[in-house]
Amino acid sequence: MALFVFWIFLSASFEWIHLVLGLTFSLAVAWINSGHSLFVPKFRLWLRILLYLPWLSYKIVESSVHLSKLILHPALPIAPQLISVDSKLRHHGAIVLLGNSITLTPGTITAEVDRNKLVVHAIDKVSSEDVASRQMEMKIADIFKDEEPDL
Amino acid sequence: MDILSIIFIVAGLFFLIVAAIGVVRLPDVFSRSHAVSLTDSLGAFLMLIGMSLHEGLDKNTLKILVVLALLYILNPVIAHATIRAALRSGIKPWKKETP
Repeated sequence: MALFVFWIFLSASFEWIHLVLGLTFSLAVAWINSGHSLFVPKFRLWLRILLYLPWLSYKIVESSVHLSKLILHPALPIAPQLISVDSKLRHHGAIVLLGNSITLTPGTITAEVDRNKLVVHAIDKVSSEDVASRQMEMKIADIFKDEEPDL
Repeated sequence: MDILSIIFIVAGLFFLIVAAIGVVRLPDVFSRSHAVSLTDSLGAFLMLIGMSLHEGLDKNTLKILVVLALLYILNPVIAHATIRAALRSGIKPWKKETP
């Protein structure tokens, strides 16, 4: 069903040949993948993730400006380092969200993930302190506080 | 509306250019990938928002927004895969020489 809606978005045409083709293919894909999908919609969780996104965008803009300053600085004052973060999160989804958020903010990249241990490459002191302060982790722990731990 | 979209696109271009300069100036794979992530997260975002403002409320705007959402999900994955591959194949991160 979701696939069919997606198809209508993309084709943006209501001629019957398109609709029938889309319906056929989305049913086929759904049938092939049935039984494999672990995706169970949890509306409260998705709402909280949605509310987390504005804060993440703010962090992205902040660190983008910081990184631009670093790049345009004539002396190139960078101090790259690898730091390991021992996260307290106990959900696969939370770890994925944390790793993605770290990588999305310019200046920090998740280099290695092993269960709840992350290795992060940071470009200078400011961005490494950003990761070490665990502000992001706290926010994500808040999102997942009502879920069953699965890690 | 046109002026707003031009502002967004010019801001996006600025970040894209800075990212390109960064790729040339920075010393190794790891720090260069930071510059590349600047492209995706703010450059492409501002460009696409500018384009969708230019299009107005249209089916094309919807497609642009879908592209944006996919970009934000896929880009961290690709950046992470590149960096992990670099790390596992034994490339040492560049360090500032301390005399």
